[in-house]
Amino acid sequence: MSDKKIHDLVIVGAGPAALTAAIYTTREDIETVLYEKGVIGGLAAVTDLIDNYPGFAEGVHGLELAKSLKDQAERFGAVIELGEVLSIEQEGKHKKINTLFGDVYAKSVLIATGCDYKKTGVPGELVYYARGVHYCATCDGAFYRDKRLVVIGGGNSAVQESIFLTRFATHIDLLVRSTIKASDVLQKELKKFVDDGKITVHLGVTPKEIKGNQDNGVTSVVGVDNNDKEVDFPTDGVFVFIGLKPNTDFLNDSDIIKDPIGFIQTDSNLQTSMSGVFAAGDVRSGATMQIASAAGEGATAALKIREYLEGKLVNDKPAVLSLQ
Amino acid sequence: MVKNITIFTTNTCGYCQMVKTYLKAKGMGYDEVNLDENPTRRAEAQLLSGATTVPVTIVTKTDDSQEVIVGYNLARLVPAVAVN
Repeated sequence: MSDKKIHDLVIVGAGPAALTAAIYTTREDIETVLYEKGVIGGLAAVTDLIDNYPGFAEGVHGLELAKSLKDQAERFGAVIELGEVLSIEQEGKHKKINTLFGDVYAKSVLIATGCDYKKTGVPGELVYYARGVHYCATCDGAFYRDKRLVVIGGGNSAVQESIFLTRFATHIDLLVRSTIKASDVLQKELKKFVDDGKITVHLGVTPKEIKGNQDNGVTSVVGVDNNDKEVDFPTDGVFVFIGLKPNTDFLNDSDIIKDPIGFIQTDSNLQTSMSGVFAAGDVRSGATMQIASAAGEGATAALKIREYLEGKLVNDKPAVLSLQ
Repeated sequence: MVKNITIFTTNTCGYCQMVKTYLKAKGMGYDEVNLDENPTRRAEAQLLSGATTVPVTIVTKTDDSQEVIVGYNLARLVPAVAVN
């Protein structure tokens, strides 16, 4: 291993937490490489409009914010590699990061892999994946111009993306298992589209099956209402936004401790149960799932990583111990 | 060997940007069909891919065989555009 390059810092992911951390570390001459398996900018990059990120009076499009963060990190020397990280393990005093294209080594690691949208798990979802079942409105909405859509979910993403999809679809049935949990601002915005007849909200409806056929793709969503009665929603396509799942499966065989849902547990330094491996952003247990928070955690992690690399980090009692 | 590459995209698609970013990083040229600007070509993308999604990347080899890659899928894109 002696002739291998040892990076100062490898960041897994390239969303807002990761890119903010990279801005801070590279500005302090901490050599930093990021690995991203999906979209640079993370889920933020596939969100139409981000209305609550500070500094943008009129909101900012997700792709625009992602590009700015990327450009800013690269301006200071961050290197972004496109590829998936498969595992992280301790090897001697360094970390070995196994990627799709080989092993790399680092003195420290920041995990900022964020989350991905959950699947409903109902019959038909996988059968019609990308042929009528979608998880990215900004990618696939254009295929539903002048067609009917169903959106499943009641949180911020479901409401925001439903509103986005009205620019294509003639009508949207929004199926909500319990109640709308989106922010007040989004709910007020949603009401305008409901009043215009573009969106119909169906509360208390749980999806049971996505139906379709080989020729036409998706044809309807079968839901079950609060009275256990089946309701059929004819549609040309379905967009699913029912919550988030942390991208931590690659850590299943590692020593890094996760909470019961799969989010990474850290101490107050944002350090995980593996010394020198930190976590920030949506992937961290206790994260608030906000882009502004992710950026803040990225900055905090960068400062703590600098202390770690300088041998000055005061180790905290890991948060995980207090839960056991 | 790759003869040409065509990517079907939309303006707001982050995954489309990633396919373009990868090909640019490898110094590879491509033709882009933006379906927001050319909505009449949506059916073509759908027919080629069997999917209602973008990006759709069509890699045409020198023997005129084609590989169709739906979505941003590095595990398929990397070997499809490899020089050898």
